[in-house]
Amino acid sequence: MGRAYNTIAFDAAKCDGCGDCMRACARAKTGGEDVARSRIQIAAGSTGFELALCRQCGDPRCVAVCPAGALAKDGQSGIIGWDAGKCVDCLLCTLGCAYAGIALDEATGRVAKCDTCEGSPACVPACPHGALKHHTTARIYNEVGDWEDLFAPGLAGCQGCNTELLMRHTLRRVGPDTVLATPPGCVPGMGSVGYNGMAGTKVPVFHPLLTNTAAMLAGVKRQFNRAGRKVTALAIAGDGGASDAGFQSLSGAAERGEQILFMVVDNEGYMNTGMQRSSATPYGAWTSTTPVGRESKGKTQDAKNLPLLMVNHRCAYVATASTAYMDDLYDKLDRAIVAAETGFAYLHVYSPCTTGWRFPTDQNMEVARKAVETNFVMLWEYTPEQGLHLSRSVDDPLPVTDYLKVMGRFRHLSPEQVQHIQAKVEENRAFVQQISQQSQAPREPSRFAGHGGDYGKGDAPRS
Amino acid sequence: MSTATLERSATKPRYIVCEGNEAAALAVALARPDMVSVYPITPQSSLVEHVAKLVADGRLDADIVDAEGEHSVLSVLQGASLAGGRTYTATCGPGLAFMFEPYFRTSGMRLPIVMTIVTRDGITPQSVWGGHQDAMTVREVGWIQIYCESVQEVLDTTIMAFKIAEHHDVMLPVNICVDGNYLSYGSARVEVPEQAAVDAFMGVKNVNWHAALDPLRPMGVDPLTGGAGGKGPSAFVRYRKGQCQGMQNALRVITEVHEEYARCFGRSYAPLVEQYRMEDAAIALMTIGSMTGAAKDAVDEARQAGTRVGIIKIKTFSPFPIDALVAALGKVEAIGVVDRSVAFRWNCGPMYQETLGALYRLGRHVPAASFIGGLAGADMTVEHFHRVIRDTEALRHGRLSAGPIWLNEND
Repeated sequence: MGRAYNTIAFDAAKCDGCGDCMRACARAKTGGEDVARSRIQIAAGSTGFELALCRQCGDPRCVAVCPAGALAKDGQSGIIGWDAGKCVDCLLCTLGCAYAGIALDEATGRVAKCDTCEGSPACVPACPHGALKHHTTARIYNEVGDWEDLFAPGLAGCQGCNTELLMRHTLRRVGPDTVLATPPGCVPGMGSVGYNGMAGTKVPVFHPLLTNTAAMLAGVKRQFNRAGRKVTALAIAGDGGASDAGFQSLSGAAERGEQILFMVVDNEGYMNTGMQRSSATPYGAWTSTTPVGRESKGKTQDAKNLPLLMVNHRCAYVATASTAYMDDLYDKLDRAIVAAETGFAYLHVYSPCTTGWRFPTDQNMEVARKAVETNFVMLWEYTPEQGLHLSRSVDDPLPVTDYLKVMGRFRHLSPEQVQHIQAKVEENRAFVQQISQQSQAPREPSRFAGHGGDYGKGDAPRS
Repeated sequence: MSTATLERSATKPRYIVCEGNEAAALAVALARPDMVSVYPITPQSSLVEHVAKLVADGRLDADIVDAEGEHSVLSVLQGASLAGGRTYTATCGPGLAFMFEPYFRTSGMRLPIVMTIVTRDGITPQSVWGGHQDAMTVREVGWIQIYCESVQEVLDTTIMAFKIAEHHDVMLPVNICVDGNYLSYGSARVEVPEQAAVDAFMGVKNVNWHAALDPLRPMGVDPLTGGAGGKGPSAFVRYRKGQCQGMQNALRVITEVHEEYARCFGRSYAPLVEQYRMEDAAIALMTIGSMTGAAKDAVDEARQAGTRVGIIKIKTFSPFPIDALVAALGKVEAIGVVDRSVAFRWNCGPMYQETLGALYRLGRHVPAASFIGGLAGADMTVEHFHRVIRDTEALRHGRLSAGPIWLNEND
């Protein structure tokens, strides 16, 4: 499997051109204050500030044009390194790069480029506006990539769907000693249970009824317990099967403390059957059974908050997660796997649906991220011992319109409907924060917290 | 209700007095299931209470799952069965209706789950009393259904049910149908076999050799068949045809298991169809379940009075024992079929409706009448059966009733 690498990302909207990043780089790399010698350059463009920085490209032009073999991409770190001994100072690389990522340092007469300061770039923490981020999730993808993919290749998801990502990553982490239940919905629709006599996974998998997933898994798990065998009972269910018709068996299994890891992929509707409304569909959303017409415009009720209902079952573990925040998701998945050894673990993953929500197929992660940044969905985790803790700050959200406008299912909303949704977001935030503030016990250290992920010190719960 | 107990250390058969529900529970304990899932409902409740007590007392080593409804009850057992466990539950009436979604699926997945139906009439009209409407309503879903006549037969048939269900030529779920109120709460002397003898009779357990949810044998259980640009409907047809074949195999296996049980324990029952005083019968009553006792008394009296009447009792209702029934009909000239439920579409009893199909195989015309009695717990007395005998005798002489005869209409 190919490797993923860490990267420095730039958010132009947050940059005011102060130059602190360039000064930090110059100090780190030259020992001086001359920003001309910085390997990161911020320049005013026609629509805002632009970045000149080495992208550590996968197919680097600089390497291709170098006649001396002085530039090479390191397979482990992904960094394009420059070998001063081999360089003949022809400067061809500076012409080859489209990003101005390698340039002449006039003080030395030689080229200079970013080497990410050995994985800890000086520029990123220097930015006072958070416009620069060092994304380190690559480590997770690489670690996961080394585990066996337990799904069959070529699942039949819609283009841009992130559920396949979720399925593959989850099963890799849970491992082969698993019995997987995928009730009717997108997950079996993609082929998890197999077609034409072929299985869709390398672990035992079945297609329970929409209504009985948790009960059937409970029987499986209990029988293996009787036999003295350690087997993980995993459900990957949709929001409809969990919050509507399947809710009774889910609730019953949670009440009995069945040792199940129940993951809900919440795409806010019955997307596999043609995008019908579920109780998880948000207010105002178009679905094929809450259409937009003269008399009504989308769903007229608010969504049922299933994860909070599961908190009220006092499950061994409850958490919400998003595929836009994979490090957080992995952290929670690890905790859920452990919790499911002794009790009911519930993991609710918000999963934007490019087909049903009507947004371009390359925007899935962006939509997922906006949902979190606007507090439209909230990331938290709960255990009976430690209560509920927010996984990231919710005090400075973007307006909910930033989320609503990126997809078609909310296109018809009236100002009153937008107001209703914004009010609901505020109400939900206050409600969850209130529970969170009553939870005084400290959160355990995150598995990934030491690796500088998005969930570093700055995002500690503010309870 | 009984307070008698079964000694674990017993080395000889014990005689106790108990109700049908307790007899069923004792039989379940002797069959050693791994998992029992329970949800209470009248008139089944005391059965699962007895099982729970047996587990609590350490006399049955089973995982007991108090599920939140019958739908989950059967679903839990499906999971346990696919993971290799022997499984049992009991229900009735509305509980069976609520369970229908997984109920339908159980036979298709060929899961040898055993479930007692302590039969209850269908609501509405509102009623909590016995009747066969619940079991009869689901007669066409691929479960084996065996009706009992006595408390002793409940115990013996419950043990046999596991062996029938798990037979590799069958691999189908089994309902033991126990008349609500009359058998569930009726107490009688029963002989309880010893555990070692039952263990020897049951043999080795292997319930998920055909389909398993087990990481040591990973497979996709019940994958999508047909369509999807692939093999077409052949896989579906193969599975469905196999279910039907399993039902037909069950006729043989039920008979063999009853014979083996008689050899092991000294009690024998007609496995499919019982003939009572049919040797020279001109007319036959057809009965099912606990009503048969009163019918036998009526036939004995009618015989003394010179009427050539016998009884054909159906024990195995699903699969319907067509050949055994045709053989039993012999030279009978008229039949009175007594049902404890209705077939709404045909305005008659369901057993009557099924019998009409079997009569086609007989190759000659035999007049038959449908009698419906014992609805919602109504008693079926010797007097009722004398009426059945009179009306069937009249039918033999050409006097046909226009529709079904409702035995308790004026009670």
